[in-house]
Amino acid sequence: MDTQVLYNIFHQDAFGFNIAMYIYLTGVSAGSFILSTLAYGFGLSQYKPLGKIGVVVATIVLVIAPLFLLFHVGMPYRAWHLFIYINLASPITWGSFLLILYPINCIIYGYFMFKEKMKLTRIFGLIGIPLAISVHGYTGFILAFGKARALWNTALMPILFLVSAVISGIALMILVFVIKESYFSKDKKIDRELIFNLGKLLAWMIVLDLFLVACDLIVLSISQADAQAAARLLLRGKFSFLFLVVENLLGKIVPFILLTVPRLRTMATTIVASILVVVGIFFMRYVVVLAGEFLPLL
Amino acid sequence: MNNKKKRYAMLVDLRKCIGCNACAMACKSENDVPLSVWRSWVKKVEKGQYPDSKEFFLPIVCNNCDKPICVTVCPVNAGIKRPDGIVYIDPHRCIGCRYCIASCPYGVRYINPRKKIAEKCYWCHHRVDAGLKPACVLACPTGVMTFGDLNDPRSEIAKAIAKKAVQTIKPDMGTDPQTFYIGLEQSAVEAKKIKEE
Repeated sequence: MDTQVLYNIFHQDAFGFNIAMYIYLTGVSAGSFILSTLAYGFGLSQYKPLGKIGVVVATIVLVIAPLFLLFHVGMPYRAWHLFIYINLASPITWGSFLLILYPINCIIYGYFMFKEKMKLTRIFGLIGIPLAISVHGYTGFILAFGKARALWNTALMPILFLVSAVISGIALMILVFVIKESYFSKDKKIDRELIFNLGKLLAWMIVLDLFLVACDLIVLSISQADAQAAARLLLRGKFSFLFLVVENLLGKIVPFILLTVPRLRTMATTIVASILVVVGIFFMRYVVVLAGEFLPLL
Repeated sequence: MNNKKKRYAMLVDLRKCIGCNACAMACKSENDVPLSVWRSWVKKVEKGQYPDSKEFFLPIVCNNCDKPICVTVCPVNAGIKRPDGIVYIDPHRCIGCRYCIASCPYGVRYINPRKKIAEKCYWCHHRVDAGLKPACVLACPTGVMTFGDLNDPRSEIAKAIAKKAVQTIKPDMGTDPQTFYIGLEQSAVEAKKIKEE
């Protein structure tokens, strides 16, 4: 029986570009921070050159990220309400406290690192890891709590976000490291070994991310009606180009090939792969947020 | 009766609805709802091909759910569920983060373009507190809507719901909606994927 909607009301989209950008930036920040603790928290000394730029990038990006939230909310000068009228059931409340604690911890950790106080650096690095995971993971809960949106309402969302955060963090670290070494260091000599190591790490995290995306899609495409509609939207609908080509082909599969095929592995291809990943993960956030709220509810 | 807790509810008898939009208009003027947004509206669906076709109407108001997800997710406790079941938004507290809009399964919340805060239907609680009926209930020319206290067994709505088959929109969401419908057409509550293609 064919039915058609003659008249209905659709209200404004709830989230949009600002929230996608915010989630992307917290992801980059958490990823960079975790890379920075590889040397200073866990003692993997080959990653030592990343420690300082990692924490600097993590802190700067996390100072920028909440600005997008202030652009997003209707009443930015009421932001202090978040700390007065607390609702512990809401992920945004968790986030408002994490967004205060995490940058403070980043600054303390960075301060001790630049002062060469290794023991204290290690302690604050290890405290920072759960904070970094939470400050990005909670954004997955924000979306997962939108229970009528089939694309968001999955327990995979926080873990999917964390894996893509680590990917974007590694890729951005490669880029920042190359820029720093080639323009701002004294001997202008890039540690190729470190870059290729990071490239390998990036490649295998991409595999994990592709696996999680595949899990999500396979279950969506077989689940209840709204979930099937969401899967169709990603695979054949309005977001299929962004999802399939930009996010997954250019943002994950091409970088994976560039990073793993030995004949292709050069400095230039590693940089190209990192740029592709950094852009691709942004579109991952964009697609998740925008496609999730694209389908009408009623 | 007076010492028992009140639980307000709405019953919409779709068999009587003629799709005149009087409820939507009354709501607009009663609650000063700005242009481009609506607290209540009448969704219209046509089933079948002319001449073997019929229009179905679905007057939509907030469900004022018993387990409102919008209240759960509000980071500043601006969404408040009153003891009598009405869910409203404290306009002085809302920061306009739109999380309630993202989480509501029924799409009844909007951002007021002038005040930049979230708003929705709260069954005209200012009228209910004064002993009046909500504006949409009074405006309906065919008496589609019934509003009252479910916990009072002598109320019109409690009697009607006890005797008739009623449905709610998206009961699977676990929000326990308190706006009940009689004669709900399935295709009217399904989101037609008109934006998809």
